[in-house]
Amino acid sequence: MRSFFKTAIVLCAICAVAAVVLALVNKVTFPEIQKYEESVVLGALEEVSAGYKIGLKADVSDNEYVSYYYDLKEDGNIKGYLLGLKTKGYGGDMTLVASYDIKGVLLSAKLVSDSETPGLGKKAENPAYMNKYIGRGSEESPIPVSKNMLSSADSAAVSGASMTFNGISRALAAGSDYVKGVK
Amino acid sequence: MNTKELTKGIFKENPTFVIMLGMCPTLAVTTQVINAVSMGAGVLFVLLFSNIFISLLKNYIPGSVRIPCYVVVIASFVTIVEMVFHAYVPAVYNALGVYLPLIVVNCIILGRAEAFASKNGVLDSAFDAIGMGIGFTLALTFIALIREVLGSGTITLMPIGSWDGVVTIPLLNKWPVRVMTLASGALLLMGYLKAFFNWKTMRSEKKRKSALKEGAAA
Repeated sequence: MRSFFKTAIVLCAICAVAAVVLALVNKVTFPEIQKYEESVVLGALEEVSAGYKIGLKADVSDNEYVSYYYDLKEDGNIKGYLLGLKTKGYGGDMTLVASYDIKGVLLSAKLVSDSETPGLGKKAENPAYMNKYIGRGSEESPIPVSKNMLSSADSAAVSGASMTFNGISRALAAGSDYVKGVK
Repeated sequence: MNTKELTKGIFKENPTFVIMLGMCPTLAVTTQVINAVSMGAGVLFVLLFSNIFISLLKNYIPGSVRIPCYVVVIASFVTIVEMVFHAYVPAVYNALGVYLPLIVVNCIILGRAEAFASKNGVLDSAFDAIGMGIGFTLALTFIALIREVLGSGTITLMPIGSWDGVVTIPLLNKWPVRVMTLASGALLLMGYLKAFFNWKTMRSEKKRKSALKEGAAA
């Protein structure tokens, strides 16, 4: 019985020390992490704004992919929309920001956060990945949502990371449809 | 002080090619050289501190709960590494992604805690950790170099200033052996490398035996 208590106390003490140390490290690093996360989203919004002025934010709660949007303005006129998108890849949730003109044609897009496999799905963070979507979204040239809507070179480049491609494509296509509906 | 503890992990008892521990991260992160190096550095840090602490605590930890105690110590260090990387070197944190928290379940760390740190002194345990960590990093980098060169025709290193850190290899970049970037390519390569290292060990063993025989005859 005594050894039973001793075992429990030792295990409990080790866990307690670990918890205190982790709490202290978290206290120091958490503000830095938060600052970094905010700067990533702000930087991404600025990057995909396509040179337009970013207007007010509107939250969206009734769409599977769209979380919020901003108006994109030039000389006071709405020229397009900047959307915050959420979707799923191979490694879980991914978030994107994408700008569209008022007809729903994609101007620019960026993958903001993901947990994709390094060397495979992570390649979607590369700005060149979005080139296959940019300029598409109209009736004649919809956003590609399957590999056979891509050129053979683009199709080969996404092989091995189809889940990432599917997630991003669906979100961007849903964003384009949403913009067409907002008008 | 025993320098043998330091060098054994690099060649003679290399965790990847000889002991065959930590195969999951080995196969998963070796798609790019930079991932392999960063993963190796993370494992080296966690291995060093977990070995030191487990060696210090070995007389106080009851045998029946030693594994849960080791896991708590290892998981704490991994979480510290994760938080510090996220706050101060977010580029490395993003590059490692899911593999950073997975260091907790890396068999090398628990394996060294159980097989070495729990039976040896602090200094020897620290040397063992450094040797094993360097051995793991070298092995990962070697596999990643072959896979990335053949599979993508590039060598991805740390970006410095205006240089993006990617070395492009002509011809292979245009016609890469795509299977090498996939998990099946990693297994295939691992098989060939294991065969090569077995052949080398067998050859040196044969040489040693024949030298012994000659010595006995003389």
